[in-house]
Amino acid sequence: MKRRIMLAIPILIIYLIPLSAYGATDQCYTCHSALEDKESKLFAEDIHFKKGISCSGCHGGDNTTEDNDAAMNKEKGFIGVPKGNKITEVCARCHASEKMMKSFGSKLPVNQFDNLINSVHGKTSTAGGGRIVQCTTCHTAHGIKSVKDPLSPVYATNIPKTCSKCHADANYMRTYNPTLAVDQYTQYLTSVHGKLNSTGDPKPAQCASCHGSHDIKPVKDIKSKVYPVNLPYTCSGCHSNKEYMAQYKIPTDQFEKYARSVHGQALLVKNDPGAPACNSCHGNHGAAPPGIESISKVCGTCHALNEELFSASPHKAAFDRKGYPECETCHGNHEIITATNKLLGVDKDGVCIRCHGDQNSSGYKSAYIMRKLIDSLDETKQSAMILINEAEQKGMEITEAKFKLRDINQVKLEARTQVHTFDPAKFKDIVGKGLVISRDATADAKVAIHEYYFRRVGLGVSVFLISLLAFGLFLYLRRIEKK
Amino acid sequence: MKKYFAQTYKWIDERLDLTSLGHFIEKKYVPIHAHSIWYYFGGVSLFFFLIQVLTGILLLFYYKGSADLAFESIQFIMSKVQFGWLIRSIHAWAANLFILSVFIHMFSVFFEKSYRKPRELTWVTGVFLFFMTLAFGFSGYLLPWNKLAFFATKVGTDIAGNIPIIGDVMKGFLRGGDDVTGATLSRFFGFHVALFPGIFTILLVIHIIMVQRQGMSEPLDIESSPNAEKKSMPFFPNFMLRDLLLWLIVLNVLAILAVFFPADLGEKADPFSSAPAGIKPEWYFLFMFQTLKYIPAKIFIMDGELLGIVLFGLAGLLWVLVPFWDTQSSKGLRNRKINYIGLFAVAFIIVLTILGWIS
Repeated sequence: MKRRIMLAIPILIIYLIPLSAYGATDQCYTCHSALEDKESKLFAEDIHFKKGISCSGCHGGDNTTEDNDAAMNKEKGFIGVPKGNKITEVCARCHASEKMMKSFGSKLPVNQFDNLINSVHGKTSTAGGGRIVQCTTCHTAHGIKSVKDPLSPVYATNIPKTCSKCHADANYMRTYNPTLAVDQYTQYLTSVHGKLNSTGDPKPAQCASCHGSHDIKPVKDIKSKVYPVNLPYTCSGCHSNKEYMAQYKIPTDQFEKYARSVHGQALLVKNDPGAPACNSCHGNHGAAPPGIESISKVCGTCHALNEELFSASPHKAAFDRKGYPECETCHGNHEIITATNKLLGVDKDGVCIRCHGDQNSSGYKSAYIMRKLIDSLDETKQSAMILINEAEQKGMEITEAKFKLRDINQVKLEARTQVHTFDPAKFKDIVGKGLVISRDATADAKVAIHEYYFRRVGLGVSVFLISLLAFGLFLYLRRIEKK
Repeated sequence: MKKYFAQTYKWIDERLDLTSLGHFIEKKYVPIHAHSIWYYFGGVSLFFFLIQVLTGILLLFYYKGSADLAFESIQFIMSKVQFGWLIRSIHAWAANLFILSVFIHMFSVFFEKSYRKPRELTWVTGVFLFFMTLAFGFSGYLLPWNKLAFFATKVGTDIAGNIPIIGDVMKGFLRGGDDVTGATLSRFFGFHVALFPGIFTILLVIHIIMVQRQGMSEPLDIESSPNAEKKSMPFFPNFMLRDLLLWLIVLNVLAILAVFFPADLGEKADPFSSAPAGIKPEWYFLFMFQTLKYIPAKIFIMDGELLGIVLFGLAGLLWVLVPFWDTQSSKGLRNRKINYIGLFAVAFIIVLTILGWIS
């Protein structure tokens, strides 16, 4: 302990010397602090002041003279209080210059200014006169702290509050986008991220973690970190980082699993922005894992009919009783794969057998029947397809039958929805429609194949008759020409 | 029965003077010589034209000439209409064989120099009939409104647009707008089933009347030989029955082709899709298309395609006017240059068509 104090004294001395030295030579600060104005009080705590930057660094003028008129002389570059875009331009003089930043020993990036003017906040304010957001809007003016300083308004635990000053103000936000929600902050406070953030933990996601800081883009902008196609990568930035997530004791393989899922394939491989991303199930500002009882509601936002049928089925009560997560029990969560026939039934790959192992149980029998039905639909479709292909290879016009057969895909889709009733009778009604389509298409194909052979026979007969006529004519001609 | 037939004949004869027509036919003779075979191609072409008229009328019962319905109506003809597939396949095959037969007929007349005096106008009407068959082919090709036809018409009308002076107007007239659309289909349908058949029939009637009035042309060497050495056969019934025999054989070939290689329909035209790779016109336009491909984009200051079109235009004009610049044949003198020009034209068409086919 004694050693630590000994070490801290010289560091403190080195830190304080320039402060007092500059304080003594900076006439702006000397006078304004003597006046005890608010700005000079705040500036004493400002990181720029600590780095030896005078008031004149931003406001211009001469900081070496005591004479008011000389110090605040426009000819000496005094600009007074910068307004509108001038504010950011004053900051950019140093913060956009690598040389200047290096001269103060700063390693901060120098692209904030560019990022800001190209961001959604860089657009013109409705109040007119400048951009929506200037540097001081978030960082404040005279009491600017390091981002790592817990007192800074842009320190991780303070960011939500800082952003909410505008984003929770319905009157203000309405002037930009009346449809934009203003409850993000309220929702955030209910989220897992928000709750942890409120305890002073800077690691959980806050506004800037997902939206970025200076380079914030509108959500609909494909470059936005929260554009649907980019969102899983943004979330996985933290959630796939084992080291970062270690203290929270939750798995870190969600992204890996999601990328393999039917949803992930649609979003990340096919780039379909309508496919569900992390926020579709977990929420965005109020992100939290769905509770066991609410899973079917969450999935039901897209799979509405499945949810409705499931909720009306006997499984709903049974699952609630046993505490099984609804859709997740059969389909999984992050790694939801395309539901095939295999999922249904009592084979080793089927999910029904997991609960309905007893062969005499009605559940086992229902699963067995439904699987047989859907398999028979596939088989009849396959055999119709073979016949249609044969007819097509024979050069027959069979487009209509091919179109008919496409309707079976719709039937299969309906059947896969209907399976959530777990009622073999209802399921049979749907599959029956497909079997009729298969039967019709098969009949069409058979007719076409028969027609193919009929045409050849017809051709044979016609060619024979025409040849016979031609031969008769030939004989007649020979007879008359002999005369 | 015989009595009723005789009475009916007499009734008509009194009004239409069939007897004199009979006398005309009785007196009509067809020369017999080593090149007599070529006489049959005029008749075969006529047979194909009649088949086209008949099958065309049958197709009209079901075909719908609009961009929304054309493809589907042909699909309906091919799959639902009794023997619709046969009618359409015969129409498609007979169209191709018709053009081939007209090509052969025209070149045989050219090599025999049958266009010489007094048959100059028969030749001119014949060449115009040949152009009309090509026009039939071009307009009919679009009617199924499939992908290939759509883009072939686009390319074809684009080429027409490069014709000097009248190109733009002609392209606009053919397309019925700036691009190939349903409006193009409607007017091509109109051309194919009304305008062209009308013009073709008038030209054909004139052509046949001239052939009947002037009789069959004899090759130069036969014409100059003594009458006693000349052989001939009566037009009726001998030549007519021979024609009929050939028509029956052709009908058999048509039936076999229609059954074994039915006309394809392809995919429906989609103006927003990209053109199929390696798109080519029908075989009878291939030699011109291929030639235009070989001509460099710029020749001195002139546009290559434009030059090609101008050259083909000039060649066509010279072709129409052959009887008027080949004065030697009209005088009964041998003109080998004509044979060389003809051989060059045939070789050019065959080679360029093959090159176009395999490219």
